[in-house]
Amino acid sequence: MILVVERPSRPLGNPTLRSMFEARKRVFVDLLKWDVPVLQGRYEIDQFDDPNAVYIIVTDRDGGHLGSARLLQTMRPHILGTLFPRLCAGDPPRGSGILEITRFCLDRSQGGAQRIATRNRLVSALVDYALDRGVTSYVGVAEMAWLQQVLAFGWACRPLGAPLVVDGRLLGALRIEIEPNTPALLSWNGIYAPHSLAPNRELEPA
Amino acid sequence: MFDRVDGFVRDVREVGSESDLETALAEVTTDMGFAYFALTHHVDMRHASRPAIRLHNYPGGWEDYFEEQRLGRSDPVHRASQLTTIGFAWSQLPHMIQLTRRDRQVLDEAERRGIGDGFTVPAHVPGEVNGSCSFATVAGADVPEEHLALAQLVGAFAFEAARRLARMRDLGLCAPPTLTDRQRDCVVWAARGKTDWEIAKILGVRHDTVIEHLRHARERYGVGKRTQLTVHALFDGSISFVDVLKR
Repeated sequence: MILVVERPSRPLGNPTLRSMFEARKRVFVDLLKWDVPVLQGRYEIDQFDDPNAVYIIVTDRDGGHLGSARLLQTMRPHILGTLFPRLCAGDPPRGSGILEITRFCLDRSQGGAQRIATRNRLVSALVDYALDRGVTSYVGVAEMAWLQQVLAFGWACRPLGAPLVVDGRLLGALRIEIEPNTPALLSWNGIYAPHSLAPNRELEPA
Repeated sequence: MFDRVDGFVRDVREVGSESDLETALAEVTTDMGFAYFALTHHVDMRHASRPAIRLHNYPGGWEDYFEEQRLGRSDPVHRASQLTTIGFAWSQLPHMIQLTRRDRQVLDEAERRGIGDGFTVPAHVPGEVNGSCSFATVAGADVPEEHLALAQLVGAFAFEAARRLARMRDLGLCAPPTLTDRQRDCVVWAARGKTDWEIAKILGVRHDTVIEHLRHARERYGVGKRTQLTVHALFDGSISFVDVLKR
């Protein structure tokens, strides 16, 4: 199931969001060793997890977290514009039709094939969400180690500036254009699952 | 210099042939202060079971030597690139892998043939053969340290362009079919069971305009019937089930 959570009033009051914050802690803190805040020793939650954040969450049948991404408005404080503007050759892109993808997270409990299936559902949901809400592009800060994989999805992607080493990680800023043919480009690479998400019908608010 | 790389990224998204990609890559290689590039899957090209990618402008004779020695998988640079996900200078090789006597012979042979120092960007796509994109100087020249971060981008975007071209070649297709907005509108209504005449009324266009749009859409998919057209368009995501089923 795909959940779209907009305007979460009490993030830790919702079991799916809780399991997402726990999964984020396991991935970004325990595995990738990011220096980000951890709440109650269990939940990775930072200053951008506020009521303006949108979460796209892939869950199992019981509502358990399999994968997720956080979307931030670029007109408000966000990772690229607030923390890493130097990754952009010009001004960081800002606009009501531009959202930032952050905390792209695949639960560590999954095996390889399931991770890829979850990743594909999450990417498909991100594209469907954008097309449904009039989002024309996503931006994001990516570790260059993942760049080839992100490009191989097949969507229209371009760099916003030269990559830089930050805390021992080579980071770069990317912009992804979302257009009516984006699902077709992703399908071409076996990424897009047309049945993965039905905006307005199967999207369930938390 | 970033603008130059940005331009390269835009150009290679549109290239339609390997020779056009080679030309673009050769130009940006020079602009970054290198002399040579080599973009390749790490396979033995003469015995590859599936068509693989290899583009390069290394000096004459190097590729023959490379194939004779069957270096596709054993080349020290290729081996090192399996161990990392971001670009590395060849000067780092001794710190990355145990260089054997044969490896040193390979590196010496490269230098004898005019290939100097280099920088290699690994290209790992899950489920696919590993590859890389390397940039090299002429023997004796230094690697342009100031452009290595950009070389990282160029290598990754070039590899994706090559991957896209190889896929098109393997499937015998020119490009994934894309529908115009108007064709797409017509296909959605056709999928919802409307006749050409009804679609014309709904969209406020002439009857024969709808017939034309649907004919062109069928041609893009190479199919003859509107049922096939709607199934293809649903399958590749050009139209969605939501478009068709929503009330």
